[in-house]
Amino acid sequence: MQIPQDLIDTAKFKLKSVQSEAEFFQLRSQYLGKKSYVISAFASLKSLDPIEKVLAAKELNILKGKLTTIFEEALEVIQHIDDASSLDVTLPADPYLVGAEHPISKVAERVMSYFSALNYQVFSGNEIETDYFNFEALNFPENHPARQMHDTFYIKSKSKSEYLLRTHTSNSQIHSMLREPLPLYMLSPGRVYRCDSDTTHLPMFTQIEGLVVDEDITFGDLKGIIINFLEYFFDEKMEVRFRPSYFPFTEPSAEVDIKFGDNGWLEILGCGMVHPNVLANCNIDTKKYRGFAFGMGIERLAMLRYGVQDIREFYSSNLDFLNQFTS
Amino acid sequence: MKVQYSYLKIFLPTALSQAKLADVFTKVGFECELDGPIIDFDVTPNRGDALSLRGLKREFQAHQSKKLKDTLSYKKLKFKKDKTVINKIDKTGCGNYHLMTITGLSSIKNLDSKKRNFLSAAGVPLISPLVDLGNYVMFEIGAPMHVFDLDLLDLPINVLFNFNNEPFQIIGGDLKNLEDSSLTIQDQKGVQAVAGIIGGEKTSVSKNTTSIAVEAAFFHPDKIVNQARKYGLATDASHRFERGVDPAIQKKALERFLFLLDDIAEYDAVKCIEGNSQALKTKFVSLSIERFNNFSGLMLTAKMISSLLQNLGFDLKSTNKKNLSFEVPSHRFDISLEEDLYEEILRCYGYDNIPINPPKRGPIRSKNKISITSALKTGLVFGGFKELMHMPFVSEENFMKLNSHSRKPAELLNPINENEPMMRNSLFEGLFSAINLNVKKGYSSLKVFESGNVFHSRGKNFIQHEHISGIVYNHEPQKSWDSKVIPYDFYSFKAEIYKLLLTLGVDNLQLEPNSNIKAFNFNSMNILSGKKVIGALGEIDLAVTHKLIKNTAFGFELYPEEISYNSKVIELKPISKFPSSTRDINILINKSHTYMDVQKILTNGSINFLNNFALVNTFEGKGIPDGLISMTLSFIFQSADKSLKDSEINDSMNQVLRTLKKSFKVEIRS
Repeated sequence: MQIPQDLIDTAKFKLKSVQSEAEFFQLRSQYLGKKSYVISAFASLKSLDPIEKVLAAKELNILKGKLTTIFEEALEVIQHIDDASSLDVTLPADPYLVGAEHPISKVAERVMSYFSALNYQVFSGNEIETDYFNFEALNFPENHPARQMHDTFYIKSKSKSEYLLRTHTSNSQIHSMLREPLPLYMLSPGRVYRCDSDTTHLPMFTQIEGLVVDEDITFGDLKGIIINFLEYFFDEKMEVRFRPSYFPFTEPSAEVDIKFGDNGWLEILGCGMVHPNVLANCNIDTKKYRGFAFGMGIERLAMLRYGVQDIREFYSSNLDFLNQFTS
Repeated sequence: MKVQYSYLKIFLPTALSQAKLADVFTKVGFECELDGPIIDFDVTPNRGDALSLRGLKREFQAHQSKKLKDTLSYKKLKFKKDKTVINKIDKTGCGNYHLMTITGLSSIKNLDSKKRNFLSAAGVPLISPLVDLGNYVMFEIGAPMHVFDLDLLDLPINVLFNFNNEPFQIIGGDLKNLEDSSLTIQDQKGVQAVAGIIGGEKTSVSKNTTSIAVEAAFFHPDKIVNQARKYGLATDASHRFERGVDPAIQKKALERFLFLLDDIAEYDAVKCIEGNSQALKTKFVSLSIERFNNFSGLMLTAKMISSLLQNLGFDLKSTNKKNLSFEVPSHRFDISLEEDLYEEILRCYGYDNIPINPPKRGPIRSKNKISITSALKTGLVFGGFKELMHMPFVSEENFMKLNSHSRKPAELLNPINENEPMMRNSLFEGLFSAINLNVKKGYSSLKVFESGNVFHSRGKNFIQHEHISGIVYNHEPQKSWDSKVIPYDFYSFKAEIYKLLLTLGVDNLQLEPNSNIKAFNFNSMNILSGKKVIGALGEIDLAVTHKLIKNTAFGFELYPEEISYNSKVIELKPISKFPSSTRDINILINKSHTYMDVQKILTNGSINFLNNFALVNTFEGKGIPDGLISMTLSFIFQSADKSLKDSEINDSMNQVLRTLKKSFKVEIRS
């Protein structure tokens, strides 16, 4: 019996141009249907002699098997194509809401991530504080004009101590120096309060202060970490200027300016070497230990980073504003 | 302090441009802002000595490595004591007191236009030539002066703390009730000036004045500070006295006044009287060269250090190889410690010239742990929540609304908005307003949260707690474009919060019905870690929101300080190699029992081989008797060391049925 050898090749070739299941089944019946060559050939085996019949049957079975496999595989591909193309994948996803951290949180985390890598511990502290921890211990003597630099909110209290809303997070540094072992590398992030409100001032804002107390700390250490931090924060080489200033709790004190855009020098943070009176108030041996401290307003950094004009936007809970930030 | 550049340039003198000059002063610690022809100097509260042309010149000269030379002209005067002019002086408030009386004044002219322009630029109103001259000398030398009309004074003068409480009429006519803490200048008729702050209307100079008494005194800063504020005043004099006026320049100031008076008036006689003055205490501060160099990272020599300090007026008193001792000039109230000298040296040397060290690293401490707050925040953000922040001030009404009656607020004495004097003790108020605002803006579905501290008072103390609170506002089941309804109900919300806390690995997490949070209605639950309440969740009680929220909303409140998570070492259980079998039952149970009751009984019932169970369906209504509910429960049985036989599983199921029947009298339906 003569079995055509190109049957498989032609079947493969024709399957390539099949577009739908209907076309597929039509083609399959040509090759494997009742009237197909293979099936009708089985019928014609009867007329052969026994030896030839066995050989031909074996060959036909192999051929039928190969064809069946080819068509099964092709069917899978065709059905798969049909399934996938039945969806318009460009239709919208089910309803969803996109979350985001607040820009102030994001900026605060960016600041903290730099210092965490240097093993700075984080102590947040109390927002309602006594006069002693907010001022006295920080070398703001009573009746000193420096206190006028801070417009303070006071709290009604039955206690002898005067309670207030902290005007900076430095209170947390005093508590930490009294409590924690030295050397101390710490950050005090948190909310602080001043009775003030306009487009660049809020009665509450966010501060991150840092403090290091260790042996052999120098002013050069302070300069180094501040410059390095600013370059990390703004992601570029920065022109940084340190100029003398005054804070009761540091001596010497400095304001740090950066060149930002076309605005010339821009004040970005305050810092200095911890005042020996402050260390002494925390029972720290000033002969052995020195320290530096720095502090920055997060809203101000966020305004610079995102180009926000009105500081009040941050606390407006206006989603038109907040939706522009993603985490 | 505002100074005309053109005037300052001549006074210093300097050829530097306005911008360059401003830059010099900024670099030595006086931040400058340019305002047209004016330079505005930000003089920090410790540097009262720089609030004059002379003070600025000293700083400028030091920057140029020169010592201040006095190039002004004076008219030499001799001062005598005279009890008929100056009698009693309270030395606790007044360090020295001088009066210069000038009689027979005539042909009084205005100050020259340069000086008048200088004063105007400094923001000093021009009043009359004699008063203007006093103000001018104050700006030039730094000693505030007061000019009385001598004929209206009933001498002698006493400088005392106020003792009678009559209202005092200040220059300009306002009446002020004087406080006992105020030092006053009194003549025989009463108070004629509040020391260091302002003079009285009665004895002020007028057009008809022909005799004057010019006062130059030193009042102690701690007796002047905050006094002007008490009277709602802030004068050029009080600004200087609060910060410290050089106690050695009062006579010089009067000599300068008289020298300049010659240009604008004629007069007959001058008398100079000084009250009993306190001897000036000289301060000495010594400095170790080695310590300074360690502190700064510099390598300065004794010679360099001395020269920098001498230019600022410090006198080198003694020196050896290691230490230098300096006499602090009388104008520097801010110098008392070695570190104060460091600042002066570094300021003049230039902060920008100090070498930079690479950042130092702190020691590793066990407390450097990941904060639960930031983990929760991250979880919420990935759950679609937007973080909001609000001011923490609330009205009394809002405080009461969200707190039990026994809760006492922390209340501000000086709130910025008098309607909001309380500190919040719940974050929900801000979130309610936020929902309201954004729903009005057209947002129909919201998930928001806030993280922050809340406050209340307890006895004499104030309590602060950290909260993270959030709201899901979805007023109707959301529909997608193919009309697929995605309902969001209490259980969807419960799943979100429960899943978040489970994902974090909160120890022994449990939810129990009925929290007492006032923001929630009866559909609420406490969230517990073991026996400790770590938060609550529930349906927002719309009445509490005072119409800020008008449709169903769910809220949660978490207390990060209370949450411990992943604190236990995990003990791994062996994984069974044997198959598990599932059996379902359907029960009818009285609705007075909650699913939690069923759960507890089955969990504690020590059912053999019970691996897990779940509620797969509830049904009530048609075909179910009133008061009952049908529950379908699915049980999974598995053994760690064998394949379970049907008979064993049947035994376990019988245990389940017996337990349920005994506890709840349930009816088994299948």
